[in-house]
Amino acid sequence: MMNETPENPRTTPRSMSSDHLRTVTASTFKLWVLEGKGPIAVEFMSYGCIHCREIEPVLQQVADMVKSKEKIFRVNTADDQELTDSYEIQGTPTVVMFLNGKEVGRAEGPPPTVSSLLTALTHPFESNAPARAAKA
Amino acid sequence: MSDETRAIPQMQERTNPVLLFNDECAVCRGIGRWVQTSAQGKSGKASIIVRPIGNDAEELRLLDPELDIWDAYATIHVLMPDGSMKLGGEAVAEVLRDLRNTKWFAWCFAVSIFGFRPFQLVLNIAYAILADVRPLFGCESCGKPSFWLRPIAPTIKWAKSIFGKNRALSGTAHFSSLSTTGPELPPSGELPPQARHF
Repeated sequence: MMNETPENPRTTPRSMSSDHLRTVTASTFKLWVLEGKGPIAVEFMSYGCIHCREIEPVLQQVADMVKSKEKIFRVNTADDQELTDSYEIQGTPTVVMFLNGKEVGRAEGPPPTVSSLLTALTHPFESNAPARAAKA
Repeated sequence: MSDETRAIPQMQERTNPVLLFNDECAVCRGIGRWVQTSAQGKSGKASIIVRPIGNDAEELRLLDPELDIWDAYATIHVLMPDGSMKLGGEAVAEVLRDLRNTKWFAWCFAVSIFGFRPFQLVLNIAYAILADVRPLFGCESCGKPSFWLRPIAPTIKWAKSIFGKNRALSGTAHFSSLSTTGPELPPSGELPPQARHF
């Protein structure tokens, strides 16, 4: 397995040019998510989860739609049990939204439709918009 | 990302078929273990290589660049030495052909009558049924039971109470999908509103 570093990020699957989600691990989570600027969503998923498979193409589509204002990462729960436990993930897929390193919302088992997922991924940031404006 | 990391990995050379199994599923683990034991020849060389799918999409692509990890979890895959892949019932037939205990009858799956392979069809149906009933036996990654199984939800509950606690057998902490940990299915088979999202 290739060693992953912040300079050499791993995308999964690698050969899919349309993959808009980067895989983040325990070693890169702090740098990419907690210290990342602006809205960031992290999908906690597992390749063996049927619902994650269902949501994957929709999530890719949504990620493409919001890529200019929001970053989306994925955490493989089977690989990163520690991260999964620390965020008290009860099941997959769960998408946790972070704003400037702080969790501002989460969607557990969101429906695999573009509109629902788009709402789930953007609504927590819209709710926090006044706080962001004040901070800016 | 650099061009180097974007490069498609070369297919690993292999001389034996490779069976990929879902190691998050108790049923698949059991079958994988059985195949591994049965595949060992007297010389110690295995007629078929058995390996879990794992969680590394890149590593899987080293076996075959066309192999997608999501697909690998969705259905059984056998990677052939010539670079082709067999899926589902065809993969099961290939495994049976490669095991010394079962190859004596596995010839029947190739029998063709006017282009129609009746034994292979039966095997395909049997595989589809097995794939559907896996949640009964504690498959933690197989999602909610199929529609035709929902009326027998109480049986599922009973079966899970017996077979569903075998995750410790592998020594691995498994993570369940929401569907399998969600609210219990009502006897009518209709999903409760809070479970529809999962």
